[in-house]
This record gives sequence, structure tokens and C-alpha cells, in this order.
Amino acid sequence: MRNDRREDDLFDEVRLRRALRLEAAELPPRMDLATIAAQAEAHRPASVFAALLSTAVAGAAAAALAGLVLVALPTIAPAVASEAFDAAIQTLARAAVPASAILAAAQQPGIPLAATFALAVAVAYEYTQRRERARAVSS
Amino acid sequence: MAASVALRLDLPMTLASSATFADGVREHQDEVYGVALRITGDRDAALDVASSTFLKAYRAFHRYDRTRPLRHWLLRIATNEAISYVRKRGRELRRSVEVDQATAVADSNATPDAESVAREDRARIRAAVRQLPDLYRVVIVLRYFNELSVDEIAHVTGRPASTVGVQLLRGRALLRGALESER
Repeated sequence: MRNDRREDDLFDEVRLRRALRLEAAELPPRMDLATIAAQAEAHRPASVFAALLSTAVAGAAAAALAGLVLVALPTIAPAVASEAFDAAIQTLARAAVPASAILAAAQQPGIPLAATFALAVAVAYEYTQRRERARAVSS
Repeated sequence: MAASVALRLDLPMTLASSATFADGVREHQDEVYGVALRITGDRDAALDVASSTFLKAYRAFHRYDRTRPLRHWLLRIATNEAISYVRKRGRELRRSVEVDQATAVADSNATPDAESVAREDRARIRAAVRQLPDLYRVVIVLRYFNELSVDEIAHVTGRPASTVGVQLLRGRALLRGALESER
């Protein structure tokens, strides 16, 4: 069975080789080396010129953009800066309201802040210890 | 002008084999044309692909890794060119192939029986190869037309050798299936 398959494969390969071989009628005309060289040379200056041109255009565009920014900046800058300053002040004022309430509560001697914090740390430590123990037992 | 062309042709010279670009063209042009023909299935396309291959090779000859065989480098360019040509031309190319095939079968009527059968068989196999997906067609052509080993095909196509082996098997199976379904 395996031998039959191998023979089939060999037959296929021989058939394929024969079928794909170039026949005399298919042989191409000889390549003209001078034509290849001439074509390569003929196309080269155009591509070099195109590359130079595109570089020059890109450079001019970048220079124009930079110039535009430089001219527009003094006009736009004050308005932009004052708007940014306004926004910053408003944000600060909004944040100050809850922050002052929290600070006032923290200043009350009736709330043992340090004790609450210590309790939270102790609970977290005990929790991690128990988890590690449980993991060690299960593995 | 002729002298300057000759000078330029001598410039791109391989150090390892001391073969000039001109030697490379002379030695490998049939093979480059053949691989293009078997991949595109069209003579005009194959000529275009072969000349663009040598044009690209001429321009990039100074970048060619001289420790590696020139033949593999040219075949790599040629297969890439042929595949992109096929993809670009797509339907248009397929139509011209069908016309070529029809004329080939018509011509075979004039030849003696055994020869005509063999020619028909070759035409059927070539047509089946042309119908293969690019992935398999390239490895099949490089293996059975260019007689490259699996490692050499891997080097030319830039695919791992194990992948090339699998693609050869699969390509052959697809061909066998296509040829058997015709019967």
C-alpha cells in the first residue's frame, strides 16, 4: 500500500518535471544587456529628480507650517492662556469644597483617625496571612 | 556611449565567484523566464517579468549578498515579480491563458497520436499548476521546474523549510485532485 503510494508520488514528480520543462518553442529571445543597462540609467535620473522634488516640497511645507505657527502664536496665545488659567482656578475651587470638609473632620478630636488607619492595616495584614496559609494548605 | 555601458556593466562584480552581472543574465535568463512563464502562464507576461527582474537586479546589484548564490537571488526577485504581476493582472491574465491553451490543443491535432497525448497531458498539468493558489504554485514551480531542494526553496521564498515541505505535499495533492477530477 505504502509502496503504491510512493510509486504514485514518483510518477507524479516525473510527470510534473516533464510537463514544466521549457520546450524549444518556448525559449525566450536573448536578453539585451545594453537595453537593461540603458533602461536602468534612463529611469534613474527621473527617480532621483522625483526624490529631490518631493524632499524640496516637504521642506517648503514644513517651513510654511512653522512660519504660520510663529505668526499665529502671539495672537492666539493670550486668549488660550487666559482660558487655561480660568479652567485651572475653577477646578481648584471645586476640589477645595470637599477637601476642606475632610480636613475639618480630621481635625475633630472625637474621630480617632490614627486608630482607624491602624485597624485597617491590621485587617489587611491578617487577610493576606490567611490567604497565604490557605494557598499553602491547598498546594 | 557603448563604452560607458560596457564599463557600467563591469562595475557590479561579485567578489566570491568573480561573475559579472552580464554572466548572471547570460547564465540564468532562461531559468528566470521559465519560472515567470510557469507562474504567470503567459509568454508576454513572462517576458515582462524577466526583464523587470533583471532591471531590478541591475539596480540592486551592489546590495546583493555575495556570499549567497546569484541564482537564488535572481529567482527570489523573479518569483516575487511574477506573483505581483499575476495579482495585478488577475482576471485579464486568466483570459489570455485560456486562449493560449485553446490554441495549444488545436495545434496538437496535427501531430502523431502518442506525441499528441503527451502534449495534451503536459498542457493539462500546466493548466492545473496555473490554477494552484500562489502559495503552492511557487514552491511547485521552484521544485519541479528549477529543480531546487526544499532548503533552497526555503531560502528563495524566505519560508521555513518545514513549511515548504508541507506546501509541496499539499500542492501535489491539489494537483493530483485537479487532474483526477478532469477524467
